[in-house]
Amino acid sequence: MTQPTGVIHDIGYRHYDGVRLTRGYAATALALNSLRGAFGLGRTARSKIIPFLIAGTMLLPAVVSIAVMALLKEQGLPYSGYAVTMQAVLAVFLAAQSPYLVAPDLRFRVLPLYLSRPLKVIDYVGAKFVALVVALFLLLAAPLTLMYIGELLVELDTPVRTSEYLASLGGGVICAVLLAAIGLALASFTPRRGLGVAAVIAFYMFTLAASGVFFGVFESENQQTAAEWSLLGNPFFLVDAVQTNLFGTEPSNGTGYPPGIAPAAITLAVIALALSALYLRYRKAAAA
Amino acid sequence: MTILATEGLTKRFPRVTALDQLTVAAGEGVTGLVGANGAGKSTLIKILLGLLPASAGRASVLGMDAAVQGLEIRRSVGYMPEHECLPPDVSATEFVVHMAQMSGLPRTAARERAADTLRHVGLHEERYRPIGGYSTGMKQRVKLAQALVHDPKVVFLDEPTNGLDPQGRDEMLALIRRIGTEFGISVLVTSHLLGELERVCDHVIVIDGGRLLRSSAIGELTQVTQAVAVEVEEGWEQLARHLTEAGEAVAVEGRLITVQVRAEDTFDVLRDAVCDLDLNLVRLEQRHGRIEDVFK
Repeated sequence: MTQPTGVIHDIGYRHYDGVRLTRGYAATALALNSLRGAFGLGRTARSKIIPFLIAGTMLLPAVVSIAVMALLKEQGLPYSGYAVTMQAVLAVFLAAQSPYLVAPDLRFRVLPLYLSRPLKVIDYVGAKFVALVVALFLLLAAPLTLMYIGELLVELDTPVRTSEYLASLGGGVICAVLLAAIGLALASFTPRRGLGVAAVIAFYMFTLAASGVFFGVFESENQQTAAEWSLLGNPFFLVDAVQTNLFGTEPSNGTGYPPGIAPAAITLAVIALALSALYLRYRKAAAA
Repeated sequence: MTILATEGLTKRFPRVTALDQLTVAAGEGVTGLVGANGAGKSTLIKILLGLLPASAGRASVLGMDAAVQGLEIRRSVGYMPEHECLPPDVSATEFVVHMAQMSGLPRTAARERAADTLRHVGLHEERYRPIGGYSTGMKQRVKLAQALVHDPKVVFLDEPTNGLDPQGRDEMLALIRRIGTEFGISVLVTSHLLGELERVCDHVIVIDGGRLLRSSAIGELTQVTQAVAVEVEEGWEQLARHLTEAGEAVAVEGRLITVQVRAEDTFDVLRDAVCDLDLNLVRLEQRHGRIEDVFK
């Protein structure tokens, strides 16, 4: 027979007199929690399927590219065009995960609990935004970095494309910020997750189709400049244009983009618009 | 010490005035805030938390101005909303730990506090299961735990007994009493049932249509509300007459006689009257005061 090894004492209620950290800590904790959640970590097995599948798909071309470099001793995929090539995959991730970040808190009315703590609306919105930006950036930076490490190890005759790699990481940051702003702004307008997913994917399809149609029409009319402008309607080409003009990488659309700061200005304007809409949406929700 | 105070507090929405020149104060212990639905209870709590700006007047919690020091107030206050506010796909433990972190507790401290608090509110093994599968009573306990996890100085509990069965209601009320006494955390608890709050509160504030009806210690209030309802099989007119002659204040509603308790011997007079008249007593019960009775 085993002897009882412990006794449970009812020590009553104990007060907490340890440290209480600032808003910054709480916002960081929320961002980390949301970032983990965006990849399904700390959630059910079912919610891991899509993010893991997408992360795997994002890495696939990088692995193939390394294999090409190693076996054929040829230059692999260009870094600068990775986001444009993989745009559909990134769009699916954005559509699947941005509603996850905002919709449940609205639907199950958890938001009032966050706001009853020492947090401001801007802390909440900021944490969600940063989480999605980091998630998207990781999704893009991981294959680029894998490819770069591969290139360093394989030792091709051509020089290592370090500057192109870094420029693509820069473009990746811009891409992540733009996509996250648009995705969250669209998703936050409905507490229903399915509707949010549909809204984000519909937005992407629309920009893809619209910019494609205009590009085709202008191209057939031999209006090259107008055709180049119309491509900026697609957020991925818009970011590629900024990357091309800012860091001097090769354009990934085959024709080139309008020169100068116009693409960057459009990008900034879209980001500002989306973030303002997001903030106003939450300010309204907070007062309700 | 004054826990919360308002002065001429007014809140107008486009279509309705939720609070109208409300001036109240509450001290330590358990304070009940009573009013019908739409009386302005939830609006008052939101203003006190610094989440809603007042149209006029002032509000303060723990000596801090709600209009400008909302953040500091929310650091020392816990809030349990009236509505459902729990995500279904996480466990109670995870959720309460997360909420503790949102109040600024470091992760290890948050874990410890969450375990402690969940135990205090009476959630045991089930705290590791997703909240989606909980009963209403368990959900109310989780909502209470998240309000207590950061060891606040004051908690605002908005309709904590809503949707609970009689037993769950009793347990929740006992828990609220413990929070106010044993835990040493001051409580502001709202309800639309005065009788319910009588059992746990030290002080009761009654508002109606955003205006203060009454604010008094529980002793004064129960004295006013003390009444005994008597039901006899036959001869209730006789009994009423007899009691009136004996100098008691009697009200007759159908077959039910309500006798106001003026002193201890009212009970004796009542007993003797029923015996003397040889009546069959069906029911003899203490009347819990309803808001309408007290403020008629």
